[in-house]
Amino acid sequence: MLEIRAARKTFYRGQPDEKVALNGLDLTLATGEFAVVIGSNGAGKSSMLNAVSGSLALDSGSIVINGDDITAMPVHKRAARIARVFQDPMLGTAASMTVAENMLLADLRSRRRTLRPGLNAKRLSTYRERLSILGLGLEDRLDTRVELLSGGQRQSLSLIMAVGGSPDLLLLDEHTAALDPRTADIVMSATVRAVEALKLTTLMVTHNMQHAVDYGHRVVMLDSGHVHLEIGGDEKADITVSDLIGHFATKTDRMLLAS
Amino acid sequence: MDFLQTTLTSFIALIPVTLAQSLILGFVVAGIMIPFRMLSFPDLTSEGAFPLGGCVCGVALAAGLSPVTSIGLALLFGFIAGCCTAFIHLRFRIHTLLAGILVMTMLYSVNLRIMGRSNLSVFGSTTIFDWVPFAQPGFPVAKIVVVGAISLLVFLLLNFFFTTEKGTAVRAVGANPAMAEAQGINVWAATIGGVGLAGGFSALSGALMVQSQGFADVNMGLGILINGLAALMIGEAIVGKKTVWRQLLAPFAGAIVYYQLVSLCLAAGMPPPDLKLATGAFVLLMLALPTLRGAGGRQAAAARESFRE
Repeated sequence: MLEIRAARKTFYRGQPDEKVALNGLDLTLATGEFAVVIGSNGAGKSSMLNAVSGSLALDSGSIVINGDDITAMPVHKRAARIARVFQDPMLGTAASMTVAENMLLADLRSRRRTLRPGLNAKRLSTYRERLSILGLGLEDRLDTRVELLSGGQRQSLSLIMAVGGSPDLLLLDEHTAALDPRTADIVMSATVRAVEALKLTTLMVTHNMQHAVDYGHRVVMLDSGHVHLEIGGDEKADITVSDLIGHFATKTDRMLLAS
Repeated sequence: MDFLQTTLTSFIALIPVTLAQSLILGFVVAGIMIPFRMLSFPDLTSEGAFPLGGCVCGVALAAGLSPVTSIGLALLFGFIAGCCTAFIHLRFRIHTLLAGILVMTMLYSVNLRIMGRSNLSVFGSTTIFDWVPFAQPGFPVAKIVVVGAISLLVFLLLNFFFTTEKGTAVRAVGANPAMAEAQGINVWAATIGGVGLAGGFSALSGALMVQSQGFADVNMGLGILINGLAALMIGEAIVGKKTVWRQLLAPFAGAIVYYQLVSLCLAAGMPPPDLKLATGAFVLLMLALPTLRGAGGRQAAAARESFRE
């Protein structure tokens, strides 16, 4: 369970270009719930994700996961609970390391790293099995350095790495936005299968209104740093893309293109 | 023909001495490689940590401490110096190269303070090279055996460490710090520890050099960095750097080949003052090579550009 309580963050406070990124944002996500976050550029989606993952320190407010206040925890400590897939496929993997080594790093996310050899036969066969779910042939390329993979393969690997240890919270930051439509579909359907199979508590940011309609239990719309609208339950099941766009305070070209 | 003959004779006569020297300097090359390749942290601390290790070892030997204790102290001081560089970079967001220059410059005064004068003779003190049973003291064979054994041990230990769970995490920090952090790795600890370890190796090299040559001098590090880089480039060209063990072998192999090349140049009658110009030109050529090859070498150029910023 994730709770964001009265989160506030202002950039460049007191300067002419002062920008309120989070303005008393409250959001609660039940365990196993899959929420899709939408909102125009500058609405505070990225700031919210960064505040949850720990890379952005809040001015006030708190972040609570499963009852533990993690507001003051650094990124690497939160990583034991939170997994994240970035928008940029380059960010989520270590390019100069092999597929197996990347899997190992993710595998150890919530564990203490020891002075024992990292890769062993047992781990390699586990990784092979996990990667085979994607159907991209990555399971036969464990010794390939990640920089030789395509963007879609890298993003799929990031996803498998993220869901591997059944994290308390999965953050998806527009993770299909940088991919071509076909690859985006592969990654998205793999995401949905993993989230449903493992019952992961998930927060997915997207600009794709169709994804917001098709996936998740709840749609959360942010506007100028707070929750503008939440749609869940039966209402969520019946919603259409044009309904969603109607709720935007300002319509952008990108949204119309996506519709 | 006569020229070739004399060149070859003096080169061959110098091989054992040069080999002993290059094995000692292999550690400083490792101390340059670890931050640069494993942590993507181009670092200049070695230019100060090398004489630091020498000075500490010299003073310790002069004070009557055992050669091993002296080396241990040098390692510790070098480790602290490396940690300082990493901390300055992380805490104050100062570029790694500038942080290294700051520490290196400050270390010059520290080294002078430690010794109390600009050079110190430790001739006559017991050194670790005296413990080899079958060789006469002072003869290069003893040095080659002792330092060769230490090199092998260090290489094996490093090769083991960088494939353990902890070691893989350290390499991830070099490959992608943001990703490493998101995977629960403490980037500060890995960077400070890694650069500290490298400083320790540079100091170890300085300490061994002092025991080998019988004196410590504050200026003994002058140009060590560029020599080390040249050795690293040669090593990587010969053994490669695609896998962990190749990358770790490169500094040791490179040091051996590089110093033999230098010896060959000197034997051929190259004036010693020209040596730094030649070395610098060589490193420049190695760094520039990917861009000179044109579009085909673009990717390799990107990998190396952190040293050209």
